[in-house]
Amino acid sequence: MFFAGIDIGSTITKVVIKNEEGILVSTAQPTGAEHRRLAHEVIKGALKKAGLTFDQIDFIVATGYGRINVPFADAQVSEITCHMRGVSWLFPGVSTVIDIGGQDCKGIKVAGGRMRNFIMNDKCAAGTGRFLEVISDTLGLKLEDIGEISLRSDNPAGVSKTCTIFAEQEVLLRLSEGVSVEDILAGLHKALAGRIHSMVSKIKIEKDVVITGGGAKNAGLCKYLEERIGFPVLIPSEPLITGALGASILAQEMAAKTSADEQVKKERKLEAVTFFDKED
Amino acid sequence: MLYKAGLDIGSVMAKAVIMDDRDILSYSIRPINGNFAAAAGAVLEETLAKAGLFLEKLDVIGSTGLGASFLSCPHMEITDVACQGRGINYLFPSARMVIEVGDQSSRVIKLTEKGKIADCIINDRCAAGSGRILQIIAKVLRININELGGLSLKSTNSVRFSTGCSVFAETEAISRIAEGTKMEDIIAGLHYAMAIKIYGMAQKAKLEDICAFTGGGAKNLGLVKMIGETIGKNLLVPEEPFITGAIGAALMALEKAGSPC
Repeated sequence: MFFAGIDIGSTITKVVIKNEEGILVSTAQPTGAEHRRLAHEVIKGALKKAGLTFDQIDFIVATGYGRINVPFADAQVSEITCHMRGVSWLFPGVSTVIDIGGQDCKGIKVAGGRMRNFIMNDKCAAGTGRFLEVISDTLGLKLEDIGEISLRSDNPAGVSKTCTIFAEQEVLLRLSEGVSVEDILAGLHKALAGRIHSMVSKIKIEKDVVITGGGAKNAGLCKYLEERIGFPVLIPSEPLITGALGASILAQEMAAKTSADEQVKKERKLEAVTFFDKED
Repeated sequence: MLYKAGLDIGSVMAKAVIMDDRDILSYSIRPINGNFAAAAGAVLEETLAKAGLFLEKLDVIGSTGLGASFLSCPHMEITDVACQGRGINYLFPSARMVIEVGDQSSRVIKLTEKGKIADCIINDRCAAGSGRILQIIAKVLRININELGGLSLKSTNSVRFSTGCSVFAETEAISRIAEGTKMEDIIAGLHYAMAIKIYGMAQKAKLEDICAFTGGGAKNLGLVKMIGETIGKNLLVPEEPFITGAIGAALMALEKAGSPC
């Protein structure tokens, strides 16, 4: 049997296809402006990679911001549950998950594979991946590179402003003062780590700590977070897909619960959803 | 006759006025374009030329704003809150509250009868409620910032923005554009989000009956109307909202210097 999890995030859409044994394929690609319409394209890509056809998938769970716009999904589950499940599967000893996404940042407390508490910021761009995106744009650098560059600094610049928009202007000011790019980046990463740390601290950070989401791909941010937390953190080899992975695990569980006669394949069509056929 | 000049070197615009004992003789506004010193010098020269005066003729120069210290000629630096208060008091003696929407911050200032500062609430930690977002949205919509006000007044069904954050508002605006929402509804929604933020600040300072509205944001008629409706007051708006700080700087410089002759 095959199970799929699709995680439509604000910035990146992720798909995991698994069977009873483990993960078969995972893909991640930019969500883009028309994200809701592209769900079927992403899953087609993943199917192709796995050498499967759409009919072979037994159960599909959608999660993430855009989950309601996946017409062919059998169930929708919140991304917090999915992240928690995905991370627990990878790291059974996890107690705190810090998920740094493109548009929000979450802290999730886990005990015995169940969610105990969570905290989230999706109101302010400072403290989310969006902050890094804006900054790398301002500096004309690639988002993938800024973490590494920040690690070269031994004298992080002071960054006072917490607002992304003001930080952007402060970056320009520091540049005009002749501060080096690596010192500015180090200062910014430190500021971001500080913000995330103080938010997640509210639900108490305990071992093991796992960092996921796009933010986990930034070595600079992980280093400064680790410094603030005070002990080593764990990072999945593919931090983007934990939500989709959790969704696929849930798909497997849900498929097992569905009785045999219900399991006669539902009529599913792999097609796009249009923006205007649904009132929200 | 005493001639006094006031300069307000803000984060985006340099403003200058020259006044004699009674009136404003001339004023001038120009963009900073990244060079505070050059903009400060140029805006003063321009204002002098308009008034038909020379630098030597000026008895006192007051300066305020982020870039006040970049002015090369002798001047007196005064804090911008005090200058805004004094400028508004000069134009509207009855006003007891000033709402200022600038590029980097928004402020609510409470005034005494004499134009002194009674209380001040500043939001400079978060761009929500500041004029910055207007510039960002104008860029996203590919229109001039001056067009925002007029367009928003045409809106009949304004968009609700889900967060106050300017970065997310930009993203939301882009999504709305992609969905085919009318430009005027997006702008009106943004004005509303700003008005709510400012209303919150005004409430903290305790709302007064007679309010003035100044700063670059006051040039946006749609925003003026929206803030007026949200706080339930008629707002006094100066003819040229950019120069209220500069007027205050000129007046206060003279007051602080005493009468030199």
